[in-house]
Amino acid sequence: MSFLERVDQTIRRSPVWRSIFRQPYPRDERSRAYAVMNNVFLHIHPVRVRQHAVKFAYTFCLGGLSFFLFLVLTVTGVYLMFFYVPSAAQAYDNILDIQSQVTFGLLTRNIHRWAAHLMVFFVFLHMMRVFYHGAYKPPREFNWVVGVVLLFLTIMLSFTGYLLPWDQIAYWAITIGTNMGGYAPLFNTPVSRILLGGVEVGQNTLLRFYVLHIMVLPLVAAIFLAVHFWRIRKDGGISGPL
Amino acid sequence: MTDTKAPPERREVLPVDPTRRTEIDKQRVPMSARPYRLLALVKQDAVVRVQKEPDDTVMTWPHLLTIEFLAAGVMSIFLLMMGLFINAPLEELANGNVTPAVAKAPWYFLGLQELLAYFHPTVAGVLVPAFVLVGAALIPYVDRGDVLAIRPSQRKTAVILFTMFCILGLALTFVGIFFRGPGYTFVIPYVTAPGMYFAL
Ligand code: HEM
Repeated sequence: MSFLERVDQTIRRSPVWRSIFRQPYPRDERSRAYAVMNNVFLHIHPVRVRQHAVKFAYTFCLGGLSFFLFLVLTVTGVYLMFFYVPSAAQAYDNILDIQSQVTFGLLTRNIHRWAAHLMVFFVFLHMMRVFYHGAYKPPREFNWVVGVVLLFLTIMLSFTGYLLPWDQIAYWAITIGTNMGGYAPLFNTPVSRILLGGVEVGQNTLLRFYVLHIMVLPLVAAIFLAVHFWRIRKDGGISGPL
Repeated sequence: MTDTKAPPERREVLPVDPTRRTEIDKQRVPMSARPYRLLALVKQDAVVRVQKEPDDTVMTWPHLLTIEFLAAGVMSIFLLMMGLFINAPLEELANGNVTPAVAKAPWYFLGLQELLAYFHPTVAGVLVPAFVLVGAALIPYVDRGDVLAIRPSQRKTAVILFTMFCILGLALTFVGIFFRGPGYTFVIPYVTAPGMYFAL
C-alpha cells in the first residue's frame, strides 16, 4: 500500500469521518440510491432520472447553471459585503479599496459582476429552452409562472446591485432606469419616489437598493427557487422527451 | 342489529376535463386511498412485481451528478478567467451635476429605453414591461392546445409568435446597446462615432 493510500484509509476509518459519512463511498446501485436519498444536498434529486433528461442537449444545463451562478453570487457577494458601506460618502472609496487593498478584492468584484450579467442572460435562455420544449404545458403551468417571477427577481437583483459602486455608470443607469418605470402609480405615488426615497438618486436610494440587493431580493428569490425545484419533481420531473 | 354502512364516499380525482389530463393527474390518488410513502428501497426480487413498466430511467448517481459537476466546473473556470482578465467597469464618483454623453440603463432594459425613443414613457416604461411580464406568466393559460403536442412543429403558431417576440426584443436591445450614442442619437460605432457607448 502506498503512503497516500494509507493516509486515505486512515482518514476514512477515523471515527470523525465515519460520524459524518455513515456509509462507505457508494460503488453499487443500491448504495448510490441511498447516497442520493439520504444526503441533504443530493436529495433535491430523485434517485433515478429519465434518460433524455440527463442529456446535455435537452436542458443545456441552463436552469442548473442559473442556480449555480446564484450560489456564486451569494458567496462572492457576502465577501464584498465585509468591505462595503452603503453610504454615498463612502461607497465609491470602498470599491476603490476593494480593488486595490482587499485580498482577492478585485477578482471577487469582477466575478460578482460577470456572474450577475451571465445569470440574467442564462435565466433568459433557460426560459427560451423551456418554451421551445413546450414544458410550460400542463402539469407545469404553475412552475412556468414561478419561473417568470424568478426572471423578474433576477433582473431586479442585478438592477439594484448596479447602483452600489456609486460611480457615474451606476448613478446614471439607475436614474434612467427608474425614470422609465417611474410613471407607474403605486399608493398614489410614482414608483420612482418609493424606490428612490426622494426625487432623484441619492443616499436614500443607495440604502434602499442595498437592503433590497443583499437581503430582501435574495431571500425572496431563495423561497421561489425552493418552490421551483420542488415543483419540478412534483410535476413529474423534467418534461419530454420531444 | 343490522348496521348497513353508508356507501363509502367516492373521492374522484378532480382535475380538468379528461382530454387535458396529464400523467400527473392520472397518478393523483386521494391520500385516504394511499396511506403510505416511500421510506426505503428494497431489492427488486424482494417484492412481487405486479406490472413492469418500461424503464427509461438512469441512476442519478453517477449520470446526472457527473454532468452537473462538469457544468459547474467549466462555469467556475470560465468565471475565474473572466475575473482574472477582464475588470469590471468603474468610472468616476457619481455626480448628479455632470451628465455623461449618453446615459444608458443596464443592458436588459435597453430594449425598453429604445422604445422610449418612439413612445410616451407610460407606454415604454410601464405598459410594455407589465404586458411582457404578465403576458409571459399567462402563456400556459392562453395556449390551450393539446398538452401532448410539445414539439415545436406541432404548435407552429405559439412558436412563431414567441420567436417573433423574442427577435423584436433582442433587436431593440441590440440597437440600444450598439447604435445609440451621445444624446441617444443613432450612431454606427467606430464609423460615425469614435467608439462604443456602452458599459456592462
Ligand atoms: C433564477 C432563475 C431560475 C432558475 C435557477 C431555474 C432553475 C431550473 C432548473 C435547475 C430546472 C431543471 C431543468 C433545467 O435545468 O432546465 C428548471 C426547470 C424549469 N424551469 Fe426554471 N429556473 C429559473 C427561471 C425560470 C424561468 C424564467 C422560467 C420560465 C418563465 C422557468 C420555468 C421552468 C420550467 C417550466 C421548468 C420545467 C422544465 C421541464 O420540465 O423541462 N424557470 N428551472
